[in-house]
Amino acid sequence: MRLLYQILWKDHSRSHLLWAFLGTLAGFVLLLAGIQFYIDIKSVLSENRDLLDPEYIVINKKVNIAQTLGLSRVGFTEEEIEEIALQPFADQVAPFLSNEFPVSGYTENERFPDFYTDLFFEAIPNEFIDVKSEEWLWDPDEGKIPIIIPQDYLNLYNFGFAPSQGLPQIPKGVISMINFKLRLQGKGRYDDYSGQIVGFSNRIHSILVPLDFLKWANDRYGYFDKSNPSQVILVSKNPTDPSIVRFLEEKGYDTIREKLKSSRMNIILKLIISFLVVVAAIIIGLAFLVFLLSLQLMISRSSDKIRRLHKLGFHYREISRPYILLLLVLMTAVTGFSLIITSLLAGKFHTMAQEWSLNISPSLHGILFGVSVGLIALISLANVAAILVSTKKLCQ
Amino acid sequence: MIFRFEKMIPLPMLEQDTADSEIWEAESLLLEQGKSYVIEAPSGRGKTSLLSVMYGIRTDYRGKVFLDNSNITSFTWREWSVLRKKRLSIIFQGLELFDDLTALENIQLKNNITGHVSNEKIGELADALDMDPYLHRKAGILSFGQQQRVAILRALVQPFDFLLADECFSHMDRENTLKAYQLIQQECEVRNAGLVLTSLNETELPGAEVRLKL
Repeated sequence: MRLLYQILWKDHSRSHLLWAFLGTLAGFVLLLAGIQFYIDIKSVLSENRDLLDPEYIVINKKVNIAQTLGLSRVGFTEEEIEEIALQPFADQVAPFLSNEFPVSGYTENERFPDFYTDLFFEAIPNEFIDVKSEEWLWDPDEGKIPIIIPQDYLNLYNFGFAPSQGLPQIPKGVISMINFKLRLQGKGRYDDYSGQIVGFSNRIHSILVPLDFLKWANDRYGYFDKSNPSQVILVSKNPTDPSIVRFLEEKGYDTIREKLKSSRMNIILKLIISFLVVVAAIIIGLAFLVFLLSLQLMISRSSDKIRRLHKLGFHYREISRPYILLLLVLMTAVTGFSLIITSLLAGKFHTMAQEWSLNISPSLHGILFGVSVGLIALISLANVAAILVSTKKLCQ
Repeated sequence: MIFRFEKMIPLPMLEQDTADSEIWEAESLLLEQGKSYVIEAPSGRGKTSLLSVMYGIRTDYRGKVFLDNSNITSFTWREWSVLRKKRLSIIFQGLELFDDLTALENIQLKNNITGHVSNEKIGELADALDMDPYLHRKAGILSFGQQQRVAILRALVQPFDFLLADECFSHMDRENTLKAYQLIQQECEVRNAGLVLTSLNETELPGAEVRLKL
């Protein structure tokens, strides 16, 4: 049927079809590349998550002017803690316990300048603390209180305060040898205990004492009003979960943002990818329209010939065949080229990612083949139907 | 194959005086395979309409037309398509050639549907009408008389039970007309086919069995 094709293809508009082809190709590459990189980046993010421990996130309420003026208290109610614990991203939740009595610390050492300060204590269960020490134990008989302070405090002293005041810098190991006294008072009594710094935490920005000690001490000395815990610590095995950031923002809670980087990255990634997919969908939609219109134009330009062929005994389906073949050839080319271009991009991205030591697949994900073939089939079917309808109409 | 007309008349003909017509609104008119009919009438009497109705490309008529006892309005697309490929052939008054194709390609286009004759046979048929030298020229640059002969040849390269020829000699001289008519008759005989030939003038066409006035 070479002659039939020769007759009907003569009236095609090369430029229309070329633009439709390029448009569809661009849309497909955008879509496929979007899906490919989304899967890659997602796996990179979750890989990093597996390497790291579960994330420990300390949450506090934002301080506002009403709290400054004493009109309302910063603190989590039991219901609020309950609510946090119920969130799917929260695997473990614990409130911080505070001292309910005055505490002060002072030094009694000839080699070290006299030092006196009011202090506060907080305590959380041991499993939330990143410092493991054999001395992290409270024994009422011994009367020695182990303390964990943030690594940042030591840095602040060694690199900020000490040089400016002409004081000696203190290495970590030496600090635990410094003896100082802690005075706890309340309920009409006061006692002195010796304190010892047993570790430095990178995770928790507070002065920590063992939980059983603080419970005991609150019992013995505490006379402040029981206040709601001002901080809550939660453990999340899935810190990339974008719902963490959303939940905190919705509730007006605050935390150290750094810890939620991957969660926020995930949100941004999703936004970028959905934008990409929308753009790709619009391009594919427009290209599909151009395809449809070019073929319809081609058919209407050939309308006399189509009627003539019909009169000669050609069935309208036979007349449609050259158009359908042209469409299928172009669509197959779109699928092929878009997969080739996307796999070239993936290869390029792979080499780039290797420089940053990220492990990204150099080959296409299987789902891309499914997506491209499925979409092409859908577009082709719609076009084939349109071709059949318009040739049939001409033959009537 | 038998065509039967029952009180058939194309709607545009209703306005005309058709009292002396042997075809329009005839109680029952039979056109039978194996016979040749010549329908003579001046312009505007509906010669082309008659053939178009028989070929299934006009449906604006009153009355009924049966093909082998089936009302032709009941035929589907596919059935008409098969009929036109295997049982009905036509030479259009307007020829309906593809100007961009050569004479030979125009003929092959039709022959390709059924593969009814070989290329040698096409050559023989063309030779009989002295069309051999023009086969490789584009149909669009041939004279109308030559184009008519291409259309005739195209109609002869398929199987058929009836051949409908619409004023197919109008631009040929007497000699060529007779040659073409002879070829048509010969091909109809081979197939035991019927022939319905319309003609403007009363040219003597030997061998026509039935003459009908429209």
